[in-house]
Amino acid sequence: MILQDPFVYRARRKNDIARGWNKTKVYLFLLIMVVLGLILVFPYFYMISKSLMNETEAISPNPPLFPSIPQWQNYIKLFTENGYFRATVNSLIVCAFNCIVVPLSASIIAYSFAKLRWKGRNIMFVLMMFTTMLPAVATQIPLYVMYSNMGWIDTLLPLTIPNLFGGGASYIFLLRQYMMGIPNDMSDAARVDGANPFRIFINIILPNCKPILLYIAVTVFITNWGDYYGPLVYMTSDNAPYTLAYLIYKNSTESDVAAQLAAIRMAGGVFMTILPAIIFTFFQKQLTEGVLTSGLKG
Amino acid sequence: MEKYLHVRQVKRRNKFTTFLKSNYVGWLFNLPLMIGLLVFTCIPMCLSLYYSFFDLSVKADGLVGEFVGLGQYIRIFQDEEMGPVVLNTLLFAIISVPLNLVLSYFLALLVNTKFKFTKFFRVIYYLPVIIPAVVNGFLWKDLTDSTFGIFNKILNMIGLDNFPFFQSAKTALFSLILMNVWSVGGGMVLWLSAFKNIPKPLYEAARIEGANAFQRFYKITLPLSTPIIFYNAVMSIIGTLQFNGTLTIGINNGKGIDNSLYLYGVKVWFEAFKSGDIGYGAALSWLLFIVIGILTFIMFSTSKWVYYQED
Repeated sequence: MILQDPFVYRARRKNDIARGWNKTKVYLFLLIMVVLGLILVFPYFYMISKSLMNETEAISPNPPLFPSIPQWQNYIKLFTENGYFRATVNSLIVCAFNCIVVPLSASIIAYSFAKLRWKGRNIMFVLMMFTTMLPAVATQIPLYVMYSNMGWIDTLLPLTIPNLFGGGASYIFLLRQYMMGIPNDMSDAARVDGANPFRIFINIILPNCKPILLYIAVTVFITNWGDYYGPLVYMTSDNAPYTLAYLIYKNSTESDVAAQLAAIRMAGGVFMTILPAIIFTFFQKQLTEGVLTSGLKG
Repeated sequence: MEKYLHVRQVKRRNKFTTFLKSNYVGWLFNLPLMIGLLVFTCIPMCLSLYYSFFDLSVKADGLVGEFVGLGQYIRIFQDEEMGPVVLNTLLFAIISVPLNLVLSYFLALLVNTKFKFTKFFRVIYYLPVIIPAVVNGFLWKDLTDSTFGIFNKILNMIGLDNFPFFQSAKTALFSLILMNVWSVGGGMVLWLSAFKNIPKPLYEAARIEGANAFQRFYKITLPLSTPIIFYNAVMSIIGTLQFNGTLTIGINNGKGIDNSLYLYGVKVWFEAFKSGDIGYGAALSWLLFIVIGILTFIMFSTSKWVYYQED
């Protein structure tokens, strides 16, 4: 990256913090950032590189940084010789369901906290915030027993149905904070015109919450896509509907031939990051700039 | 007289209907949460407490077992594995939480400058976060392998000896903490949104008064980000104490060499789901719940240092 004078000049004018910086300082600053970036990205880069190596390169005691000839067939093998296709479909089902259901149910609940007045609101809110402190492990065991009584073990139901109820306090809390920032003028006008709370919620509040709903959907996708622990607990038999994360977990921890499949395993890892990476490139602004979390005092 | 009663009755009924009228919408919208909390949180919590007083195992016809009172809790203190497990978990939490808070904070300060290229670096720094934990686990096992791992090759290249990483009980926990540092971008994003909430005129005023960069950081940025520091600290401690990510590294079933990576979260999973010792698992998870409750209480009651802006 070559720094032109006008660039530095513009950067200096635009920037509060860097006002009064000279060129050397900018270069030094850039150098630190590049070095940090290289360090942080290296594992990801190496995973891609290794996924294209042949098997001797992958377990060579003198590991190369790049494959001599990219072995694209590693990715084909992944789908033909392992159960990756079925697992991908299962993961997509779980993620699609949750990405729709969580933002929707969370916003219904958040609306009741942010815009409606009713007896018991504060108690419910405190109770909800209290659940963020509960360790998940404490509820897991009875839930396992409960699900197995209902015949939900070895199905996708434990990974989807509980999300019908808001999908977690943090999402509801975020939405509530966001909704509280929406001015009441429009909903008041609508109420005068005879709209009921449900109409106001659908036609005024929800459209105004688009950015935060999107943020939540993206977060839900990334969390569910990578969740190996849920299936680990709730899928016990070998012909259960494995999700991709769980299949990769099983393949990488329980297989005896793991070392010989190093490159293919890397290909599986890369494949698993493709969808998050695509989503990330589309929504990187929302993800990396953070959401407004004003009034964290709750 | 009759007329009077009649009026009273109408009034009372009106009160009731107005109460219903003014509340039912809220209750209706909140209903999913109430059901969810009851079915997926309250009932399981109570059941888990109940289970912890029994010696249970899963049989074909459901749970079978006998009442043992506080037996399972006494067992925790006699369990020889608990020493290393508690020590590992505490060490991990005490080092990893502050380390990641501080590192992500400085990373956020770096990319909070308004050069054009800092936006690009935000993306780069966040990239490792999108790697799912399960992929990260075997990726890091591979990177740090003693024979074909690239990290040791790099160390050799700059003239250092092989480092055992996860393959030695002495360095395994350190390696886990190191691995966690790579997801520092997640914390960075939280800080960035905190910085966003600091009113810009404050900096402008400070500069006019002649405050230098360090003073502006120390007097404005730091105090005004204490709410999110606090939120971050509480959440990370809760998360770290039940962390079971070492399962994905897969060495010795996630326990690590000589149990060096054996964390509390992994222990609960092992007892309850791998060995099917439901009662013991429930007791372990309730103990963790109590510890987290006490810690959170302590953190909240010593949170005088948190500065909340007036809205």
